[in-house]
Amino acid sequence: MATSLYGASEAQDVICVFLEREGDTLQRVSLELLSKGRELADEVGWKLAGLLLGYYRMLPLMGQAFEVGADEIWVAEHPLLKTFTVEAYTSAAFQVIMNRKPSIFLCGATPNGRDLAGRLAVKLRTGLTADCTDLRMREGGILVGEVTGFGGGVLALIKTPQHRPQMATVRPGVFPLKPPRTERVSRAVEIISVTLDEAQVRTRVVEQVVGRGADITQSPVVVVGGRGIQGRFDLLRQLAELLGGEVGATRPPVDSGQIERERQVGQTGVVCRPKVAIVCGASGAFQFTVGIQHADTVIAINTDPEAPIFETADYGVVGDALQIVPALIEALRNSRVAVTSG
Amino acid sequence: MTQVEHLTVDDARWDTLFERTRGAVALCYQCGVCTALCPWGQVREGKPLSVRSLLRRAQLGVPDDHEDIWLCTACAQCESLCPRGVPVAEVFQSLRGMAWEERRVPKGLPSVLWSIYWNNNPWSQPPSHRSRWAKGLEVPRFDPSEHEVLYYVGCTAAYDRRAQKVARALVKLFQAAGVRFGTLGDEEPCCGDAAKSLGYTPYFEEIVQNAAQVFAQNGVRRLVATSPHCFDTFRNYAPRYQADFEAEHYTQFLDRCLSEGRLRFSREVPLRVTFHDPCFLGRRNDEYEAPRRILDAIPGLERVEMARSRQDALCCGGGGGRMWMETSAGERFANLRVQDALATGVQVLVTACPFCIACFEESVKAVGAPNLRVMDVAELAAMAIE
Ligand SMILES: Cc1cc2nc3c(=O)[nH]c(=O)nc-3n(C[C@H](O)[C@H](O)[C@H](O)COP(=O)(O)OP(=O)(O)OC[C@H]3O[C@@H](n4cnc5c(N)ncnc54)[C@H](O)[C@@H]3O)c2cc1C
Ligand code: SF4
Ligand code: SF4
Repeated sequence: MATSLYGASEAQDVICVFLEREGDTLQRVSLELLSKGRELADEVGWKLAGLLLGYYRMLPLMGQAFEVGADEIWVAEHPLLKTFTVEAYTSAAFQVIMNRKPSIFLCGATPNGRDLAGRLAVKLRTGLTADCTDLRMREGGILVGEVTGFGGGVLALIKTPQHRPQMATVRPGVFPLKPPRTERVSRAVEIISVTLDEAQVRTRVVEQVVGRGADITQSPVVVVGGRGIQGRFDLLRQLAELLGGEVGATRPPVDSGQIERERQVGQTGVVCRPKVAIVCGASGAFQFTVGIQHADTVIAINTDPEAPIFETADYGVVGDALQIVPALIEALRNSRVAVTSG
Repeated sequence: MTQVEHLTVDDARWDTLFERTRGAVALCYQCGVCTALCPWGQVREGKPLSVRSLLRRAQLGVPDDHEDIWLCTACAQCESLCPRGVPVAEVFQSLRGMAWEERRVPKGLPSVLWSIYWNNNPWSQPPSHRSRWAKGLEVPRFDPSEHEVLYYVGCTAAYDRRAQKVARALVKLFQAAGVRFGTLGDEEPCCGDAAKSLGYTPYFEEIVQNAAQVFAQNGVRRLVATSPHCFDTFRNYAPRYQADFEAEHYTQFLDRCLSEGRLRFSREVPLRVTFHDPCFLGRRNDEYEAPRRILDAIPGLERVEMARSRQDALCCGGGGGRMWMETSAGERFANLRVQDALATGVQVLVTACPFCIACFEESVKAVGAPNLRVMDVAELAAMAIE
């Protein structure tokens, strides 16, 4: 077995998490990995670092990473890192890793993350445990990744005892996002220079298109309309906008073409995990409630005090949604309350 | 010029399919009875589910990227009249199994299987809430030295608030009949019907084996299931994996309690009802009479038949894993079935399956028939006891 470019004795006591951006925020999976990385690092008294590659507007991203627990951020800035290309990102990440020699390198199992991690592992001649469903620390700083193969129900525990860094990818949503840290330990930003050559990059970004389909699964607030709102999604849209959220629906309004299918919440729609779900005029059928059961807080508005939705809701308002929602919009406009995401 | 579809024949694929269906796919001689009978033909005008041609492609080992293999509700309508005895739904399950291997699976289905894996139920519900349905009721933990049967609640009746009412009604009935029963509480294993219908056979086998083991460890010799789907799995599939227990659907069990005089209905339930045969109770397990005898024993209750009933009953659309797949608004069998019920002029459409209840309740609203109630046999029976 070929040895890795650096071994356990040279590796530093650091867990490094690849920070993937999405516009001006970090991807949720990167934050989830930082949360988990913090926990693992604390177990063995190591440091937690974030690896941030890019070219512009990096500061707000660093803030987010520190907030969920990073001690250091390793930054490489280069015009060729402006948008993700697997060649430039692999090369830059490789240079930073060889410079800092972390013991562990974690990456979200997103399309780009998977692309990057695989190439990086080959370049570093180390192992990669892909799609872990759990990560644990063993004595001597050995990372153990749990991998479940579906179906066979096989459950493998994989470790990389000799090679460094120990690499793993984890799918979004596997680890919970911990609340921001308040106590401040250290916050170091280290700029690491990388050399990149345009000739290396064989990917050409022609155009960046953001999918037009709504993604209500990521929204911090979801305002759901059921049959009871009689198609008044215009009202719900206003409310959602004021709260920085998205509009969702039960199946009947989708069936009758009042709203797009992508916004259907439930068993055969999407499962969302907002901080707040406001459910208007939905009876609360099981096939629907499975789609909002992960919401932190559910507020239901229904004319029928016996509606089953009140069993699922944290707060219930018995009344006509078509009167309550406009009143709520009015009140919000006056007080300019807004819920921020993240 | 006519367009000719080019087919690539794949012998290895055929061999695999032949083996997985234990040769059954070879039996089909292309008469087309299945296509004619399949309810998809009634909801998709001009483009029925061409069961026959899918079987032909399968026989030739022609890879199909047909979404159509996911449509089958396993209703057994076609199987009941296939002159060659082809287990059509199982063939579809095998085709789905191959699609899993090729990672061509409709969105949302992997998470159903993951949910069974993590939560022991296909509904993404917390395992620790499994016995919450019984809150406030006296439901003891099964003890083989004390109890005659295990009441197997099943994932849907345990978690779906509507179906929970059926489980609660059953407990009432068991108590009234003096049945010595218990449940396995939060440890009750999933039956695996979802994994089976979605075609993930290796995992299904593992689930049933595990369930059989849990039953053996708990000394279970007989169980009574709420859902015909669990019942079917335990009755027809578990024995393939050395399971050593008997399974009954609750309608069969209650029917026996009635005939043995343990259960008596004394209260009038003056309702006009019609009974819908759940596919997994009727066509799949040949039980048409037990639920009808229970209904007929209820004083004051009047039962009429729909135009198509027993062997000819129209599927609700919820079997074959369709509970976890979206069906376009115009293509839901349940809408047609509700029309069947409305034509009889009854007040209640009665069934004995939690999937049917979910599908019908939705369709009752969709077709605008607010006066037609959807109830379970157990709920009506519970109304008839003191
Ligand atoms: C296989 C299958 C899959 C399904 N998948 C999904 C799914 O993914 N998502 C989904 O949502 N459903 C799904 N369903 C349908 C589900 O079972 C319910 O039928 C559906 O969720 C009901 O939608 P609803 O609550 O909007 O309508 P209803 O059940 O008709 O409820 C309307 C409610 O609005 C209230 N109301 C009326 N007027 C007002 C008013 N002015 N103000 C306030 N309240 C009012 C009424 O009291 C009532 O409670 C599925 C069903 C099946 C069988
Ligand atoms: S009815 Fe049976 S024999 Fe006839 S085409 Fe269908 S599967 Fe084949
Ligand atoms: S089992 Fe039912 S749904 Fe499936 S092919 Fe046969 S008739 Fe059609």
